Amino acid sequence: MMQPQQPYTGQIFQPTQAYTPTTPQPFYGNSFEDEPPLLEELGINFDHIWQKTLTVLHPLKVADGSIMNETDLAGPMVFCLAFGATLLLAGKIQFGYVYGISAIGCLGMFCLLNLMSMTGVSFGCVASVLGYCLLPMILLSSFAVIFSLQGMVGIILTAGIIGWCSFSASKIFISALAMEGQQLLVAYPCALLYGVFALISVF
Amino acid sequence: MATTAAPAGGARSGAGPEWGGFEENIQGGGSAVIDMENMDDTSGSSFEDMGELHQRLREEEVDADAAAAEEEDGEFLGMKGFKGQLSRQVADQMWQAGKRQASRAFSLYANIDILRPYFDVEPAQVRSRLLESMIPIKMVNFPQKIAGELYGPLMLVFTLVAILLHGMKTSDTIIREGTLMGTAIGTCFGYWLGVSSFIYFLAYLCNAQITMLQMLALLGYGLFGHCIVLFVTYNIHLHALFYVFWLLVGGLSTLRMVAVLVSRTVGPTQRLLLCGTLAALHMLFLLYLHFAYHKVVEGILDTLEGPDIPPMQRVPRDVPAALPAARLSAIVLNATAKAVAVTLQSH
Repeated sequence: MMQPQQPYTGQIFQPTQAYTPTTPQPFYGNSFEDEPPLLEELGINFDHIWQKTLTVLHPLKVADGSIMNETDLAGPMVFCLAFGATLLLAGKIQFGYVYGISAIGCLGMFCLLNLMSMTGVSFGCVASVLGYCLLPMILLSSFAVIFSLQGMVGIILTAGIIGWCSFSASKIFISALAMEGQQLLVAYPCALLYGVFALISVF
Repeated sequence: MATTAAPAGGARSGAGPEWGGFEENIQGGGSAVIDMENMDDTSGSSFEDMGELHQRLREEEVDADAAAAEEEDGEFLGMKGFKGQLSRQVADQMWQAGKRQASRAFSLYANIDILRPYFDVEPAQVRSRLLESMIPIKMVNFPQKIAGELYGPLMLVFTLVAILLHGMKTSDTIIREGTLMGTAIGTCFGYWLGVSSFIYFLAYLCNAQITMLQMLALLGYGLFGHCIVLFVTYNIHLHALFYVFWLLVGGLSTLRMVAVLVSRTVGPTQRLLLCGTLAALHMLFLLYLHFAYHKVVEGILDTLEGPDIPPMQRVPRDVPAALPAARLSAIVLNATAKAVAVTLQSH
């Protein structure tokens, strides 16, 4: 006897799907408009880079502790490259020394700051700060392209630039790590590190 | 026995270590084999029970691993194969293993935290300790206090490295930079760590009351005098000045260290041995640092400040102008001959 049949809602003769995508897969992409902009994906924020550069260039400007929260290594890489390029203009092919000394110097500062501060600090933050504060050293090495730095003027200028770099670096470190009253203690190792860079520029 | 235990073990729940011998057999539903081994769990001796306990735990671990492996195989061959599932699990396990190794290496970093209290200083403290390191104290009857910190000594060693590097740079070429840095760092750190260890060893032999940290701090602050002497004499090249500074400044910092050690040592022979060694090593190191790079500096000075010789010198064949008595008209002589005449006249 035929009875009125319910419409069949099963899935006979259809293979069950092993994996039903319920969320949109990243591989096959969202729509083009939903993607974040390329610079944002890469983490390069020009406004922040500019802010940090201004903080370094104005030694007396009070540093904001929160600007170092995201570690940005694009700026420091560019500055190291620019430093090497200005040295190249003076006839010194020393990219390797620049990178080696900056790596070892960052490692040393990382260990020292972790030992001296209450809260720890990440290696990326240290590398970022030290890289940004290399900017005045680029001024020194570009000056060395035209004039020799081995006279009295050169010594005074070198000392001034080293002081500027280390003062900025220590200012940012103590505002980011809340190490009040220890600015000189942080500035001195930075001064030694930038002194080695200055040695490369001068001689 | 072992082979029958395996499937029963695989079906066991986590109640293995307990005394549930009979319950296990009831729970092991997948196997029709009764495990006679577990029937003997009611024996009285606890020693045997512990042994069985351990054995069971080990078996469970092995079984769990075997079951996991079997599961993997089943999935690979079985119906719910998502192609990458095996590879994903392997990658997962590799990630776990790598993470374990990284965390073990990272816990090594925690050992650096042991040094944390030695870096807790204020700038005023460092300044006062630097100044005190040049002032020998006369009171040797009771042990003098040594500040047990490492920030000041470490910074002084790095300063010495920088001064050495500067001295090498002003007297040498640019090409050998890499080895210059290595030499400077090796010399300074080698002296600080090596001589500290050696003096600590001697102090142990002479029964002096000083710890390794205090020795490191003492010798580190003693390098302040070296830094001053080298900084001055690398820029002002006078032998007499160097010897005066060596005796005065080097001597003061050595006397300070000697006084501290004498106050912590008992017995004249021990005091003599310890303090004589330290004084000799400290003063000789300063002498070495100066003279290791002094010759090069002297050589350069001779070249730069020697007789003023013009770069290109063509001596004419007949040199009547060399004789100071001869007078020739200015038209005949050219500039070079005149320069030769002037030079020879000045001698």
